[in-house]
Amino acid sequence: MTEVFLHNLGWITGVLVLLTAGLLLGARIPLRYNIRNLRVRWIPTALTALAFTAVIALLTVMLAFVSGMVRLTQMTGHPGNVLILDESANDEAFSNIPASDVGDLVNLPGLFRQGGRPWVSMETYLVVNQLLPHARLGRPQRRFLQMRGVEDVQMAAQVHDLRLHPGGSWFSSAGVREILGPKGQKITAIEAVLGEGIAREMAQDRSPEELAQAKSPDTLLPGDIFFLGDRVWYVCGLLQSTGTTFDSEVWAKRSLVASIFGKNTYTTVVVRTPDAQKARQLCEFVNTQYKKAAIRARPEKEYFSSLQETNRQLLVAISFVTVVLAVGGVFGVMNTMFAAVGQRTADIGVLRILGFSRWQILGSFLLESLLIALVGGLLGCAVGSLSHGWSATSIVSSGQGAGKFVVLRLVVDAGTLAAGMTLALAMGALGGLLPAWRATRLRPLEALG
Amino acid sequence: MSMKLLVLVVKNIRRNLLRSVLTGLGTMVLVVVVILVWSILWYLDEQTKEKTTNMKAIVTERWQMPSRMPLSYAPELRAGAARRPGDIRPQDSMTWQFYVGSTEPGRLRRETALFIVATQPEKVLTMFDELDTLPPDSPDRRPLEKAIQAMKTNRQALIVGRERLEAINKRVGERVKVYGMSFKGIDLEFDIVGTFPEGRWNNLSVMDWEYLNAAVDAYNRRPGVRPHPMTERSLSIVWLKVPDMRSFTAVANQIASSPSFTNPQVKTETLASGTAAFLEAFRDLIWGMRYFLMPAAVVTVCLVIANAISLSVRERRKEFAVLKVLGFHPVHILSLVLGEALLLGVVSGLASAVGVYVVINHVFGGLKFPIGFFSTFYIPAQAMGWGLAVGAATALIGSLVPAWIACRVRVAEIFARVG
Repeated sequence: MTEVFLHNLGWITGVLVLLTAGLLLGARIPLRYNIRNLRVRWIPTALTALAFTAVIALLTVMLAFVSGMVRLTQMTGHPGNVLILDESANDEAFSNIPASDVGDLVNLPGLFRQGGRPWVSMETYLVVNQLLPHARLGRPQRRFLQMRGVEDVQMAAQVHDLRLHPGGSWFSSAGVREILGPKGQKITAIEAVLGEGIAREMAQDRSPEELAQAKSPDTLLPGDIFFLGDRVWYVCGLLQSTGTTFDSEVWAKRSLVASIFGKNTYTTVVVRTPDAQKARQLCEFVNTQYKKAAIRARPEKEYFSSLQETNRQLLVAISFVTVVLAVGGVFGVMNTMFAAVGQRTADIGVLRILGFSRWQILGSFLLESLLIALVGGLLGCAVGSLSHGWSATSIVSSGQGAGKFVVLRLVVDAGTLAAGMTLALAMGALGGLLPAWRATRLRPLEALG
Repeated sequence: MSMKLLVLVVKNIRRNLLRSVLTGLGTMVLVVVVILVWSILWYLDEQTKEKTTNMKAIVTERWQMPSRMPLSYAPELRAGAARRPGDIRPQDSMTWQFYVGSTEPGRLRRETALFIVATQPEKVLTMFDELDTLPPDSPDRRPLEKAIQAMKTNRQALIVGRERLEAINKRVGERVKVYGMSFKGIDLEFDIVGTFPEGRWNNLSVMDWEYLNAAVDAYNRRPGVRPHPMTERSLSIVWLKVPDMRSFTAVANQIASSPSFTNPQVKTETLASGTAAFLEAFRDLIWGMRYFLMPAAVVTVCLVIANAISLSVRERRKEFAVLKVLGFHPVHILSLVLGEALLLGVVSGLASAVGVYVVINHVFGGLKFPIGFFSTFYIPAQAMGWGLAVGAATALIGSLVPAWIACRVRVAEIFARVG
């Protein structure tokens, strides 16, 4: 139902805008009359508009959260990339490709090559526990980190189309470097490249000593260290944010990740083909003709788009809550408009005697209700829009186990605002209709009496 | 005087019945939102609140998720790694191995997926959360006991959660073949012997761990086949029941200091702590529900009530002036207006709470809102109190200003206008 509503959002918005415009343009009763009435009864008008503002602001923020998640899953992946997992895995976290099976994948047909070298990234993706002894009060003592061990970090960055922020560097071929410990002793730290989102998250649970030495209180930066798996990790670079799930990952040398966390198999091989069509052809080949390993290929964009189940569930919940809140708002506007009709019975009688038809009376009161909704809706959208760009954590998942922990940005786009205004106008129209209809039922002489 | 006021309050509510009904309905639907959100947050808070007695601990792989430990860890972990005299032993324990499969070969879809926990059948009623507290006379207990009995005599028996059973289009008594996804190459046939009570375990299935481990052994015995990759990493969780926090700490230390659990290392945490860590991913969503959605709903109720009461006050200024002439003090008028709002708010809030409790729990079978491994939430009995309190509080807040305006009505001004 939610999808049907969103699919037809354009139509619904169009109908409501046309209704409002039609009432404005076609009204014979001057608009000034309605505006003056709203001003005279400014307290109920303001209270009703404020109720609209609260509901629409809430809707805008909730939809911005879902839009952020949708954008994240839709933007992740390159159209020419093919993601290869083991044949039974739907998610990277459950995939296990033995080392003996990955070597031959560089010889797959149709791969994009540069200088004769195919663009192939061999990776081990895993979710690890990071213990947080210095977590703030009320926060759990550990967090899940998404770790991607890559064989060749420069190749992986090319395949995933990722760049580093200035001032950082990719990790070395050894993947470790010597740094000075807190007591001035030399320690071997594992080099890591962090996504922007997770760097901000990880900065939150540092000890006062770590914070004192930190380059920034808000985020980890190249040169900072963190602790994971009984080892010290050195941040050598920060990935430029691309609004994708990679913003929430920690990258390190695959062989080190495998030995520290005990995952010796590969989970993912990502190969680049020249374009989306070639990517589909390669998937077809791997899934039907390639028999050397039990693997399954799918376009990378398709894989990340499939992680929409959480978005769908959230959207259903949001729609339910919004509809219930909207019904409450409709009762509120009905109260206001019934009172308006009650107070202006004599006005209605005069208007009828002056020759205004029942429909024009109905239009006039409906317009008043829509004006309240318009003002409340616009205010609500404006307040809700303040959430644009806020950072939030969540999970994207295909709904069949696993999923990815992501740090996302809330997105207030045109669709979100259109949904907000549509709901506001719909509430205004529904709430105003019954009182307006009652106004049309008044007989002129009785109304004057 | 107070009785007279109460009669006046009721009469005034009945006088403009349409407005009262609309305000009441507006309050009711908005209180529904507050109760639904509150129920979810209350349940999550309960799950992440550390217990002091009768605690459950979970032992998992220290660094990786999903946790994969060798099955050989099971006996020692179930004993809480008690090695020396005086070491604390858990009161009860069970192991979980996850067998994920599909009812159609090679494809895992929502309609075909089965997420099966391989465990000791007798532990379903002693260790599974919420099932371990089922009262002996509960109508849900008897069929479950029967299913567990069937598991003890038939290794291929399977208990399937209600939603899953419906999703795979099977019934109790039917046979199902499951193609292994987490245990690739190990396909198992099951007899569905029962289902769980509606609620927490709606999407989970339970099998006898011996059946799974026998199947892995059989796979490994096949000539010319390498040992199954899951052979040494099939154990996911070990659950322990301990009487109190002191015992938990002792058992956790015993496990941490045991030389048996080094590759991979393991960690022991309370169920509440593990749940909190898992819910951390939903931190902002929960924050939004608690500090944004609920206040917005409460503010909207306040505005709806404030609007209705201010309309009413505006229309009754002459009436208040007359009451003053008749000897009513401002405080009486204030009480009159506040009383009207309060009565409306309390009745609507309570009606809403009762309605949502009955409809969600008994008509819809719970509120389906998947957060982590919680998929269904129920409205607790405390919701009656919340509904009443929210209705009363919002009515009071919403009507304060209009009531103040009403009691400040100046008789001379009002009658001067009438004149």
